[in-house]
Amino acid sequence: MKALDGVSFTVRKGEALGLVGESGCGKSVTALTIVGLLPENATVTEGEILLAGKNLLALKHDEMRKVRATEIAMVFQDPTTFLNPVLTIGEQLEEVFLLSPKHLASVASEKKEGSDNKAKSIKSLSKSQQKKTAKLLSIDVMKRVRLPDQERVLKEYPHELSGGMRQRCMIAMALARNPALFIADEITTALDVTIQAQILELLRELKREFQGSTLLITHDLGIVAELCDRVAVMYAGNIVELANVKELFANPLHPYTRGLIRAVPMLDKRKDRLETIQGSVPDLIYPPPGCRFHPRCPLAFEKCKRVKPELLNVGQGHTVACHLYEEGKS
Amino acid sequence: MTRSVLEIKDLKKWFPVTAGLLGRVKGHVKAVDGVDLEIEEGETFGLVGESGSGKTTLGRCILRLIEPSYGKIMYRDQDITRLKGEAFRKIQRKFGIVFQDPYASLDPRQTIKSALIEPMKYHKIVQSEDQAAKKAEELIKRVGLNEDHLYRFPHEFSGGQRQRVAVARALTTDPEIIILDEPTSFLDVSVQAQILNLLSDLQEELDLTYLFISHNLSVIEHMSNRVGVMYLGKLMEAAPRDTIYRRPEHPYTHALISALPIPNPDLVRERVVLSGDIPSPVNIPSGCRFRTRCPYVKDLCAQEDPPLESRRVGHLVSCHFDLKLSSPIPILKT
Repeated sequence: MKALDGVSFTVRKGEALGLVGESGCGKSVTALTIVGLLPENATVTEGEILLAGKNLLALKHDEMRKVRATEIAMVFQDPTTFLNPVLTIGEQLEEVFLLSPKHLASVASEKKEGSDNKAKSIKSLSKSQQKKTAKLLSIDVMKRVRLPDQERVLKEYPHELSGGMRQRCMIAMALARNPALFIADEITTALDVTIQAQILELLRELKREFQGSTLLITHDLGIVAELCDRVAVMYAGNIVELANVKELFANPLHPYTRGLIRAVPMLDKRKDRLETIQGSVPDLIYPPPGCRFHPRCPLAFEKCKRVKPELLNVGQGHTVACHLYEEGKS
Repeated sequence: MTRSVLEIKDLKKWFPVTAGLLGRVKGHVKAVDGVDLEIEEGETFGLVGESGSGKTTLGRCILRLIEPSYGKIMYRDQDITRLKGEAFRKIQRKFGIVFQDPYASLDPRQTIKSALIEPMKYHKIVQSEDQAAKKAEELIKRVGLNEDHLYRFPHEFSGGQRQRVAVARALTTDPEIIILDEPTSFLDVSVQAQILNLLSDLQEELDLTYLFISHNLSVIEHMSNRVGVMYLGKLMEAAPRDTIYRRPEHPYTHALISALPIPNPDLVRERVVLSGDIPSPVNIPSGCRFRTRCPYVKDLCAQEDPPLESRRVGHLVSCHFDLKLSSPIPILKT
């Protein structure tokens, strides 16, 4: 099964890129490939993933682990499967810091001696000092994700927290080491609307402070509109359109993107009838030849059945993979 | 005036919570805790709420798939709460239900044809095999599939097609009312649109009345004539659709609608973010059950449970105060 077939995109420094699409389009596989957590039966046959110039696919297992610990952080849809049920939140959150004693030591010396003494040699810490510092840092990061009652939450087990709180803990762990790339995979999908609103508001606030880049994976166009700077639309393992968020909603070009936007009921614009995209998402074991969307596309023509369209720049960073826009260019 | 086909009066469903070997009852999960509702002929009544609000339990109580603990269910002025045997079966066929999960609601070892014919026979809708087969064919076409599909098994269908089959099955007894319990929440948006359109068409063709249960506010808005908002087993507000979405008067409704992300990057709006989590239905707060999260809470709210009262014609609100809330959806300048 070809879950991804020639996916290319760039997440710029400091931006939030949205990856949208329906189930089975390959958005989560893309994320798992980036963090190197694909299941064992999956292989990346071609391509590169560059994190600030470093090809992640060429890294060894241990090196990749290090990248995951410090440079890329990911939060998933269901926090219960990623939190260890037999460890307290504190043990799990502090572990993130305990993994790097050097970092802890430098933080501890900064705290103790004040900022003017930074140049002083950093002493390594004893185990108990390390724990203490890790706890302080944990409380800091918990404050950043607006978790109340930090001392108490640190002592609790995941099952004692609500879904929204667990997701905040996951975000805290992800942001603990100030990653260069933060990947959020459907992180509000399992939550109720009012709890989702809390998390969205948190992400919006964090976006202002957070220096790194964000890759936000979702099926919800509303979340994309609220939080992303640019959006990539995926369909059946391909990116079919990529544009600035305002541009994408104002001027969607790919027939799939158009269909997707028109198929959602919207509170601000009443529609008597929803537009539909006929059929359903194809089986990726036998994907359709040519453009993978052609069997469902209302505008498909002969060429679409034979030739796979390349991503084409139509101006202002708006790219689309559709044969309809090729003539306009030449 | 339009007639009500279904009326629910003070309906309650409490599930006992037991402890110890002897099963001592130590409390109740008050899933539905006193709901009054009237559904008019030919309308779609949307019931919206977060998880644990009791919307699904309410839907099941109406069909008595779960026996209610208290209250009355009236079908066209006839009390059906305690009906039994043949008398109840006669009423049952006036109702259809479509469940959320099309993977769980169809028997994997039963062909679609047999799944459609079974309820016809049970309710003695058809006199002969021939007639049943004919009706099954008619139904499968009505939901946008074809006769070949009758001889297949559920695993051969996609999620959207299964939900079409589930709709066909709900129609087998020529019902008047269909309870749609999150019929599209398992589906992708492009497929969701197909099913919503199908439901709208069927309603028009067959004069159906819908009780549409969902947590999805945009879907409810698209489908409903009137909307009721549930919170912890009770209705907080009920009104015609536009009133609920543009001029809500209950702070919960207001927060719920303002919480919903709208796919329009040009829209600037202020979001009301409720603090905290939904309390457990075992320990419902005293007085107004929403008070623990309400941004406008006052002393009175902890003491008295506000009744669901009519503020204007057709607009019911359960709140002690007449809060002047802004519209949660800004009007766009175009």
